[in-house]
Amino acid sequence: MKLTAYLTAATIALTANVAIAETDLKFTPGEDARFNWASYEALKSVDLKGETISVFGPWLGADKALLENVVAYFEKATGAVVKYSGSDSFEAQIVIDTEAGSAPNVAVFPQPGLAADLAKKGKLTPLAAGTADWVRENYAAGQSWVDLGTYKNAEGKEDLYGFFYKADVKSLVWYSPENFEDAGYEIPKSMEELITLSDKIVADGGTPWCIGLGSGGATGWVATDWVEDMMLRTQSPDVYDKWVKNQVKFDDPKVLAAIDAYGDFARNDKYVSGGAGTVATTDFRDSPKGLFSSPPKCYMHRQASFIPAFFPEGTVVGEDADFFYFPAYAAKDLGKPVLGGGTLFAITNESKGAHAFVEFLKTPIAHELWMAQEGFLTPHKGVNQDAYASESLKGMGEILLNATTFRFDASDLMPGAIGAGAFWTGMVDYSGGKSAKEVGAQIQKTWDTIK
Amino acid sequence: MDSIVGKNSALTWAVNISVVVLVLLWTIPTFGLLVSSVRDKDQLVSSGWWTSFSSVERNLIKRSAPASEQSQTDDIYLLKGNVFGEEVGVITAFGWNSKAPTAFTPGDTVQMRKGKELQINADGSYLLTSPIPFTSKKGSRLFVTSVEAPIFTLDNYSEVLFAEGIGKSFLNTMTVTIPATIIPILIAAFAAYALAWMEFPGRAIMLAMVVGLLVVPLQMSLIPLLRLYTDVGIGKGYLGIWLAHTGFGLPLAIYLLRNYIAGLPREVIESARVDGANDFVIFVKIILPLSFPALASFAIFQFLWVWNDLLIATVFLGNNEEELVMTGRLREMLGSRGGNWEILTASAFVSIFVPLMVFFSLQKYLVRGLLSGSVKGG
Repeated sequence: MKLTAYLTAATIALTANVAIAETDLKFTPGEDARFNWASYEALKSVDLKGETISVFGPWLGADKALLENVVAYFEKATGAVVKYSGSDSFEAQIVIDTEAGSAPNVAVFPQPGLAADLAKKGKLTPLAAGTADWVRENYAAGQSWVDLGTYKNAEGKEDLYGFFYKADVKSLVWYSPENFEDAGYEIPKSMEELITLSDKIVADGGTPWCIGLGSGGATGWVATDWVEDMMLRTQSPDVYDKWVKNQVKFDDPKVLAAIDAYGDFARNDKYVSGGAGTVATTDFRDSPKGLFSSPPKCYMHRQASFIPAFFPEGTVVGEDADFFYFPAYAAKDLGKPVLGGGTLFAITNESKGAHAFVEFLKTPIAHELWMAQEGFLTPHKGVNQDAYASESLKGMGEILLNATTFRFDASDLMPGAIGAGAFWTGMVDYSGGKSAKEVGAQIQKTWDTIK
Repeated sequence: MDSIVGKNSALTWAVNISVVVLVLLWTIPTFGLLVSSVRDKDQLVSSGWWTSFSSVERNLIKRSAPASEQSQTDDIYLLKGNVFGEEVGVITAFGWNSKAPTAFTPGDTVQMRKGKELQINADGSYLLTSPIPFTSKKGSRLFVTSVEAPIFTLDNYSEVLFAEGIGKSFLNTMTVTIPATIIPILIAAFAAYALAWMEFPGRAIMLAMVVGLLVVPLQMSLIPLLRLYTDVGIGKGYLGIWLAHTGFGLPLAIYLLRNYIAGLPREVIESARVDGANDFVIFVKIILPLSFPALASFAIFQFLWVWNDLLIATVFLGNNEEELVMTGRLREMLGSRGGNWEILTASAFVSIFVPLMVFFSLQKYLVRGLLSGSVKGG
């Protein structure tokens, strides 16, 4: 017991050190006019001295440093100590921690599905009253964000548990502007034009697409994003929502058509760098590198907003690489659908500090501070769009704000056994040559067994 | 006789060859890992380690100097420099357009768009001329094919070894590993002696239960154990992880040590009893010194297992800066999405180092300890 007392003392001493070391802030308060410093000053009225807030999430490495830079302002203003820890096996660990009663105060979920599971088990605390109204008012497509964060608890009562902070846009096509210029290609405005362009690249002796599904245990998710984008471009959002809830079955002709629309790209030997056979085995982290090789292995790459992290070192987004919106069919009247994702913050261990932390995430400054760094998009309408660190981030932010339809990544909303299982493996099988009908039936069969 | 001798030698050959093949099969992956860990990180992602010993031709995209560095002679604007910058290289082909990056041989002067002309020599020096001023802030793209010698570097290791917080993590791992190795050995030695030499009812059943526990997967007990810790107030921390590792290691420890101790000569123990020694004296004065090989071999097992463990550490210790162990730190360096091969390979060798030291310093006991139960009365 003496030993534990000693260790506790040592831990306290260490944390005290950390708190002192973190006083230097990345952007000096009051200096840069891009930031909403008023919301930072207002934060100082919250006194959380002596309060420790543990935050647990999936971010590691560079992402973790970015979050800590933002959190430093919260610590400085309120006097609280925020301890963030990250893990690449977050999904498994948060379940263990909540089950065992040693949960962190705040958890950062990359998938709403997992948060809904925990809410159902009664492991989450509803967010403060009024949060739902706030999100509805201040977020673009606010109602859809509220719906994504609202779950049933153990008694079946619905509440808002998840607050979305940090969004991703997935409907993007990346390309090298200089390669387009050399070859004289124009950015396509519609899906029809995109297909024409692809054919033209093939006719010119090039390869239009780089597609790679490999991602270790999660191999296949890239293809699920393709299919979801195709769903939004061939069917109404209503059908998409029903598909997520399995009211439209996986072997429904509408879904099979979307899978085949993906197949038109990925199973066409002439369209894909290395041939259709390499799609399933190429790692998604390596696949965009073909854009920058000499001669270019491909001209276009459809991937979410985070992918520049895997471009070759020194690649400047906006100069060496750029993106355009993955277009919708001009012939179909479905507006400009955008597929996206986001991380949600939920309270897994209630404390005064945890609620204050979620309140902090509502302030414009919390968004602007990360916008000014990198890799952060927000649907918050009240923030200064000029705070984005680059024109390209701002461009993505605009795609998000101007979306006529915003839909969350379907595989993240489906039950884990489908969205992080059968759908992935099914898409690998499909890319390997199985028919859409077989794959759809196989996924539906798995879904039937878990009902 | 001759034929038998001949057969024997053929057999010996077969055995020798298969041993060599097996050894090669087992060491090739490690060797590949070692080679990869000292390669330049750009070369590492572009080709396999087996190609790393010869020069390779690579198509590179370089940039000319930006427009701000142009000079003017008469009506012609000039940009010059070397595509390799400060470094040295050899160019075998070049081009100015991504459609035909290898169209020209070094020394040629070729036409570009808008009357611009480009010349690139084998040593990498280039000359761009234009009748109108250059405007590009980044410079034009120059496509060159260069012969690149293999680059070997220790940068990957320095990146891993001098990463922020790695020293703290090393201490954390030691704080976990050393007690988690010693505590189970202490408990298991007592238990093994009791199960081997002390007569009490239910001894055989207890031993069977201990052996039975070997088949229980530890993953199953993570949640209940952590819940228990939370309820009794230990929570997450070093005490909890020591106890957890002790529990998970004990069945094997007791089983191994009991077999060894049961094999010690009965005469020694009985004569000690006759001389008036009680069980505790026998244990400390006779059993412990005699069973050192078995203790050492179990210590190696337990040390390696705890050292390499990530699962139990992340569950029972938490992942924050102060408590992160080496395995957790290395994983964190790989980033949220992984894919940094140079860090992965180098950190594999860094983390292998301490276990290797422990293994080599104790390995002469390992075989003795493992064989101990097999030859009774030995």
